[in-house]
Amino acid sequence: MDFQAIHDRLRVLRAPGLLGSDEPRPADPKDKHSKGRAGDPFLLVDAQKLVDFLVVCRDDARLSFEILADLSATDPSKDAADLWINVNLLSVRHKHRLAIKCTLAKQQARMPSSVRAYRAAQWAERECGEMFGIEFTGHPDPRNILLPDDWIGAPLRKDYEFPKEYHGISCV
Amino acid sequence: MLAVTETPLAAPAPVGDGNLVLDLLTGLRPESVPLWAVMATSALIAVGLAVALISLIAMFSTWMERKVAGHIQCRYGPMHVGWHGWLQPIADGVKLLLKEDIIPKGADKVLFVLSPAIVLASLLGAMAALALSPNFFFADIDLGVFFILAMTSTTTIGVVMAGWASNSKWSLYGSMREAAQVIAYEVPLGISLMVPLIVAGTFNLREASAAQGGWYGMHWFVFQNPFMLPAFLLFFTAVLAETKRAPFDLPESESELVSGFLTEYSGIRWSFFFMEEYAAMFLYSAVGAFFFFGGFESPFTWAVAQMAPHTIDLGETIGTLKLLGEGSLLHNLVAVATIVVKAFAGVFLMMWVRWSLPRIRIDQVMTLGYKYLTPLSMVCVLGAALFELAWIRFFGGAS
Amino acid sequence: MAQTAPDSKQGASPSMSLDEARVLPSGEREFMLDVRTQDMELNMGPQHPATHGVMRILLRVDGEIVTGAQPHLGYLHRCAEKIGENVEWLQYLPYTDRYDYLSSMNNNLGYSMAVEALMTGLEIPRRAQMLRIICAELNRIGSHLIAYGTYGLDIGAFTPFFYAFREREWMMALFEKICGARLTYSYIRIGGVFNDAPPGWLGEVERFCDVFEQKWVEYYDLLMENHIFVKRTADVGVISREMALDFGLTGPMLRGSGVDWDLRRDMPYSLYGEIWKDGAFKIPVARGEKGSLGDCWDRTWVRVMEMMESIKIVRWCLAHIEPGPIIGDVPKVLRVPTGEAYVGIENPRGELGHYVVSDGGKVAIRVRVRGPSFVNVAVTEALMTGTLLSDAVAIVGSTDVVIGETDR
Repeated sequence: MDFQAIHDRLRVLRAPGLLGSDEPRPADPKDKHSKGRAGDPFLLVDAQKLVDFLVVCRDDARLSFEILADLSATDPSKDAADLWINVNLLSVRHKHRLAIKCTLAKQQARMPSSVRAYRAAQWAERECGEMFGIEFTGHPDPRNILLPDDWIGAPLRKDYEFPKEYHGISCV
Repeated sequence: MLAVTETPLAAPAPVGDGNLVLDLLTGLRPESVPLWAVMATSALIAVGLAVALISLIAMFSTWMERKVAGHIQCRYGPMHVGWHGWLQPIADGVKLLLKEDIIPKGADKVLFVLSPAIVLASLLGAMAALALSPNFFFADIDLGVFFILAMTSTTTIGVVMAGWASNSKWSLYGSMREAAQVIAYEVPLGISLMVPLIVAGTFNLREASAAQGGWYGMHWFVFQNPFMLPAFLLFFTAVLAETKRAPFDLPESESELVSGFLTEYSGIRWSFFFMEEYAAMFLYSAVGAFFFFGGFESPFTWAVAQMAPHTIDLGETIGTLKLLGEGSLLHNLVAVATIVVKAFAGVFLMMWVRWSLPRIRIDQVMTLGYKYLTPLSMVCVLGAALFELAWIRFFGGAS
Repeated sequence: MAQTAPDSKQGASPSMSLDEARVLPSGEREFMLDVRTQDMELNMGPQHPATHGVMRILLRVDGEIVTGAQPHLGYLHRCAEKIGENVEWLQYLPYTDRYDYLSSMNNNLGYSMAVEALMTGLEIPRRAQMLRIICAELNRIGSHLIAYGTYGLDIGAFTPFFYAFREREWMMALFEKICGARLTYSYIRIGGVFNDAPPGWLGEVERFCDVFEQKWVEYYDLLMENHIFVKRTADVGVISREMALDFGLTGPMLRGSGVDWDLRRDMPYSLYGEIWKDGAFKIPVARGEKGSLGDCWDRTWVRVMEMMESIKIVRWCLAHIEPGPIIGDVPKVLRVPTGEAYVGIENPRGELGHYVVSDGGKVAIRVRVRGPSFVNVAVTEALMTGTLLSDAVAIVGSTDVVIGETDR
């Protein structure tokens, strides 16, 4: 199935939290400021309902997304109010992919964990959580994975300030 | 202590009771030196010889191991120190001696220092029973092979002590595995050795060797009884386990236990364990050679023994020296060469196995030892005994 | 490690119960008739020969039996993703070499393709595609040779390691000739490759293929068919099909569990679609030959078989390569159009995904790396419990983890 068919199918299924889609488009030649967008099409999903959405994607026979290929986040800029949660699903049976994007307010970065849908989310969320300061509620093992347990701050946020020293080790 | 037998290399001098060094020293002794000092010196010389022997064997074996490993693995091994790296063990020895002696902070110091000593000492003790030629040996013990097995088993105590004293979990693992493994394989080792003992009728190495002298020096035990070859295979497998060689190197198992009981050891203490390992390999191979593959006997030994005796006189102190014929100097030299070659052939076989096979798992080690090797070795003993009985019954025992 | 060993036995209370029995990994039942002991915590790593780097696995063990395992990562964390947001598009390329340092060519390819996905209209010349595939597949062979050799080491066989390194050495010499580096190549660039094959190089690759095909038989016989090796790996660390999909495993780990999935065939990129249509290569999928489907042996078998398939792909490319340009029209100062793309390619260890976001500037907004090792090693946590300590080593080895990639 191509992206449009997947989107239609999810609309038919009334997948919880589905907000819309975003597809690549060329720059508008009339509008000087429009840049257009390249790359993959993706679906916009409500972050708070992401896990239910993933369960639908996984269980529907025609979609059958067995693999959670990737779950990560993006901080688009220092001034942005929202983080993006980027999810990439993969179906072995139907040989198609689906990119999902959620937005999550930086001020209150909290969303339900997706471990219920895919166990692959466990480590991905641990990494995502520590790097972006996101709290995944209901995560079975919410420890840091790459950073030390006592690390302060979310390093991949754009407003992150590098520490001056860590346990007596100068970082300057 | 360098005793000589009833067919002595040199004619017996009055005091020493057949002890070559003691005789020599007594002959040269000035009046002022007391006799006990001479005896003590002679004992020390014998101990020194044994230590030198172990060091030589270990040094040669390490070099050989590296060369064998290298050539099996498409490389050369040591090439730079001496011709084809033959001086490499000396360079390594110097390096190990100069290394800092590290005792871990939480270790049991006394046991930590003691365990390499125990390991090496028990092997030195075992070496005492090893005859090097028909007329040259340290101690002629009637229960020779029994003594060797007992003494080499003592090294396990040292290894367990080392693992415990190191105060490291990996070391503890290594030593517990060693203990379990040695207990499991001591049984098939001893029982499979019963087979040649039944045929030989003696525990003494020299007597066992002498019993294989027929057939132009090829009347080896392994050809005397159909159960001997399976018994040797069982013996060899058990020896691999006993000496912690791959595929039974679980006590060390680098990829699992870091270095097992050796993890916390360094420098010369560490090398003691390795000297023990290589010397034990040599010793077991020699025992195998004595009880399966003819000991001193080979066509060469036989040929020298058949030569017409020739004796030269070396004067008052030393006496006469036999050069050719049975029990002569040449005969003894050929016998030494024979047993050394046979023993190192066994060592080579062990190295070959080590560099070819993966390591087996601890439960498989136990299963193999208890469920397969032990019953099979018992079957071998039974079969060999029945065969000997039938041979004696129907053919008059003229084996 | 620093705790005193004797103390760990303290506080044990004796128990005598005929009811308590447990099933050992060998299938036997063991009765708890002796003194009950406490479990011991054992640090496998960060410096341990079997963890292939600086991973640390905290094991809870009862004697030889592992009752719990918890991998701890991060000892080799080099902030690759943060660096990606701070350097220019092309400058990031050398950093991709460093996450899975055993298959740098594939990493270069993955990153380049992710950036190219945003650059609409950029044409990659055919010769560059060919050179990319030749290098990526040779690198796959090298990577699988390491996997095969070090797995032998984990199991206790030293010799296969040296055999594997003999051929890998040649492979690295080939790469040295084409790009000057032996491990961190940065050869595949955005838009193509940076250097054409030197004269005679393609012929030497062909010779390498000829020799390798002969040597491969040795590898297979030396380790894969070795009875002890089979005994150590068959039925150990079994990953069922469902479990593999649930954990998001990819690459040989997934094919080792019997799932017929390879991005080169199923979502073809570069020229792989054409090569597949030509019938040049097959996808080896484990069948559970020596034990149950999805055990350590199957995973290793898939890797060993894949080496031969890579040789076939290289041969196809050698037969079809023609002279031509080697890099597309890429400006010196690269400004990537606005957009975001996720591109996954088949790395030797699984799907290497790059998610790149651009706002049209010289620097990326986000370079997310989905390292296959990171995902694959997560499964060890679930696999190790209830196995023997030696099996734990076998399981870690069979995931073929590269710590540079888990930690990035």
